[in-house]
Parts: sequence; C-alpha cells; structure tokens
Amino acid sequence: MTSVTGYETGKFGTISTYFQIDDSWKLRTGKGVSVAIIDSGIDENHPDLQGKVLESVEARNENKRVLFVPSETGDSAGHGTACAGIITKIAPDAKFHSIRVLGAGGLGDGQSFLAGLEYAIKNRYRLINLSLGTTKPQFFSPLHDLLDRAYQAGCIVVAAANNLPQPSFPSVFSSSLISVSKSEETDPIHFGFRFGEVIELTAPGVNVRTAWLGGGYKSLTGNSFACPHIVGIIALLLETYPNLTPFQVKSALYAIAEENLRTAVDSE
Amino acid sequence: MFNRQKFPPISKKNFYLFDSYGFLGKNLCMSETGEDNLEKKLRNLIETIDVANALTEPLTASIINLLKITAFEMNSEEASVLIREGDHGDLRFLSAIGKVAEQLINLHVPAGKGIAGFVFSSGQPMAVADAGEEETFYAEVDRQTGYSTQTILATPLRHNGEVIGVLEYVNRIGEPPYEAFTPIEMDKAALFAEAVASLINAYEAAKLFRELGEKMINGATDAKFDEVREWLKGLRSAPEHKEMLDLAILIREIGSRGEAEREMCREVLEAVVRFSDSKSETSFLSY
Repeated sequence: MTSVTGYETGKFGTISTYFQIDDSWKLRTGKGVSVAIIDSGIDENHPDLQGKVLESVEARNENKRVLFVPSETGDSAGHGTACAGIITKIAPDAKFHSIRVLGAGGLGDGQSFLAGLEYAIKNRYRLINLSLGTTKPQFFSPLHDLLDRAYQAGCIVVAAANNLPQPSFPSVFSSSLISVSKSEETDPIHFGFRFGEVIELTAPGVNVRTAWLGGGYKSLTGNSFACPHIVGIIALLLETYPNLTPFQVKSALYAIAEENLRTAVDSE
Repeated sequence: MFNRQKFPPISKKNFYLFDSYGFLGKNLCMSETGEDNLEKKLRNLIETIDVANALTEPLTASIINLLKITAFEMNSEEASVLIREGDHGDLRFLSAIGKVAEQLINLHVPAGKGIAGFVFSSGQPMAVADAGEEETFYAEVDRQTGYSTQTILATPLRHNGEVIGVLEYVNRIGEPPYEAFTPIEMDKAALFAEAVASLINAYEAAKLFRELGEKMINGATDAKFDEVREWLKGLRSAPEHKEMLDLAILIREIGSRGEAEREMCREVLEAVVRFSDSKSETSFLSY
C-alpha cells in the first residue's frame, strides 16, 4: 500500500488530497485507457501495435491555419512508433490517438506542435505523450497557456526534457505537466523522482529496445524514450484509479518512486 | 538572362540576395554620375565577391576541423553536419568527415526522413544502436554511399532557439560490432553542437554574400563586358534598381565591420523576409 499526500487548490480553496493506492496497479494492462501521442505518427501495421490505434490524424497547413485531417501516411521517421511501442510493452491494452505534427506536409515547426497539443486538449484526451520540445522563446507563453488549459481540463501531459544545455518548453513547466529525463535503469517500474529539480522524473531511456518502422525494432537512447515509460505507468494507474487528477497522478508517481527508493535501500 | 521583367515573390529560397533579379547589371546602369562611377560600383561589387569567399572558405575549413576534433572525442571517425534546405524541413549534408565524406556532401534528406530528419523537426537528440538493421532511410543512404551505418548519434544544431541543422556521429573507431553511443557522449555532443551551430550560423551569413558574388561572377562571365554595358544602358530607366545596389553595398560594408554586425544584419534581413512572406503571397516588389 502506498500513501499519497498532497494539496490541491480548487474553487473551495486548498484541500488535502490524501489517498492510498495499493499495488494492484502493477498487475493492470492499461485497459480502457487511451494515450494521445503527439509526434511523427504511428505505424499501425507494426505487429506490436495492430488494432491499437483508435485515431490517426496529421497536421495540414491550409491558409496559414493548422488543421488536422485523417492521416494515411503513418510514420516516416519511426519516432512516434517507437514511443507507442514502449507504452504498449508496459500497458499492452492501452489504445492510441496518433497526432502527427512532424514530417507531414512540410510541417514540423512549433506552430504545428502547438496545434497538436491544442487538438489533444480540446478532445480532452486524458493522457498525452509529448516526446518533443522547443527552445524557441516565442513559444514559451503560448505553450504555458496551453499546458495550464490541459491541467484545468484534467489532461495529464508527460513531456521529455531536451537533453541540451538550453531549457526546452514545455518540459520546464513543472507545475502543469510531468517532465521526464532518461536514466540507465531498465525496469520501467523503477523510475525515479527528483523532488525540487526542474525535470522531476527519471525513467529508462538508454538503449531501449522498441518498435520501429517496417515491423522492426531498434535500440534507442534519448529522453524521448524515457517519457513513454512514465506514460505507460500512468496508463496502469488510470486503469486502476480512473478519476485521478493530474495533481494526484504526480503525487502518486512521487510516492511510488519514494517506495522504489526505500525498497532499493532496504535490499542493499 | 538579363531581360527578366518581373521579380518572383520573395521567399527564403530566392532571398539570397536579389541575385535572381539579375541584380548586378540592372543596378550598375542606374549610376547617375556617368561611366566612371559605374565602374567604381562594379569594382565595389567585385570586392563583395572577394569578401564573400574570404568569409565562407575559412568557415568551411573550421567546421571540418571541429568535426575531426569532436569525432575523436566521441571515439568515432565519421561525423557530418546537415543544414536546413528551404522552408519545409528538408536537409542537406554540408560537411562530413570519414570514408564516404565526399559522397555525402550535398546529399539531400527529405523532411522528417530518418533520424536526422526527426531530430531536425523535433529538436530532440537521439542515438540509435542498430541503425542499419532494417529497411530505413539509412539503409538507403548506405546503398548510395557503400557505407554501413550501424550506430548513430544525432543532435540538433540550434541558434537563438531555432534548429538550423543536425550534427551526427556514426559508428566507432575500429572494427564492428560498434558499441552504442552513451548518455555521457550524448551530453558531450550537445555541447559540441553549440560550437558547430555558431560556425554554421556564420557560414550561412557569409553564404548570403557568396551566392550574390557567384551569381555576379557568372553573369559577368557569361556575357561580354560590352554586352553588360549595353544591357545596363537599356535599363537606366528603372530607378528602383539603384536602391537595391545601394543596399547590397551597404550589406557588404556591414559585413566588414565585425561578427556582431553581421549577425544583426542577418537577423534583420531574415525578419524582413518573414514579414514579407506573412504579409502577402504576392510580393509588393512585383511590377
């Protein structure tokens, strides 16, 4: 049993969000949970992902507005497929919404990235994987607004840090999303939480073997691949506790990571 | 080539810089103080070409040197720099070291394709331990170059927050199988990328001058000087070309004043192009 304590501010003021979670979530499969992946698309013909992609849209730039239309191009880069592959290993019954903002129709700039996130929030997708980021200062403010909207709408956004000397957005918006960087840990359950750091969570992200284009697999390294590990864990939590708020999810992750740490210390 | 009557709409592609307008000749004709002044301006513009070459060649050499030094630090012999080409996320190999360096130069990478395409469009660095196992973009590049990409690390090149290219390290020193690039090497590469990006940025600024110069050389070489003069005379009635000539000379002068001035000049010019692109599909310069 893991206790989760925290505080949440709502229209009635700040309230305690003490609750307890048992370990049953570790036995879940992500059933009934869907994940929006804002990325390069998903290869839905990959053996690991067949029948799991509920929706596949891609950004189109029409009259200087970004629209989302059904995608028939899949994934030309492999990255979105890799992220979905990681999630499906942890939560095999989770389904996907593929929101392609990279490499489609000449897009891939910050504008389509913003539009993809807005699309996911408007559709109130509960769990959003964002293994992307931007360091362009002009996107700081609009992304901040969008992430606040996501938080208020109950969308749980998980973003990858950029692994570069500069801060990237939105991963540095600690309050409104869950940000992740890579560790050399291999067990997805044994993620870490660095309380007080800008990028709070660490998860496996080194030589991660996952789905790739053409039905194959690759061993990949990067924060991009740590992010979906945490998304997979949250999918298990949401199956067990469907009404968790973003704040509670973060509190739960913190409590589980603390438990992981205690267990590791005890076993030494 | 000198009888073009309309300017194409301004875009990044034809921004470099007025060259597609037959710029040199058209503007030379606008001298209001006679042939002497005309030739003085011609000399000025030829100096522009010299400045341009003097700017780009050392930069290209510096990029190669930096690749060699950093590749050694990364325990790799193969490294390359890809830079953006156009406005749609395409890339092309600008510099490379290693066994197939010459074959890579100018090779085009379509938007979003392969690891480099992804890293460029997403801004996220990544390493792949087994890049060449399946039918991927790298398999295609390998077929073209005869090389075997096995392990790769790609990191974005950024300037002022904007991704301007990709830095790649491929394989290891020695014989395969090659070890995957490590997280520590990924951090190192991100630092190297900062230095490379500064050079790329300077290179691109210099390229503005160089391309102008090359076009001018080609224009002058293709036509006899007398023909150029005839052509110039025929265009005396277009006063807007004088303004463009003055602008080019001004840019050359700014370019000679220092790195900070060149950087500022480049940013201002790019902002003007962006403004123009966003204002209208039809350039206000069309006539």
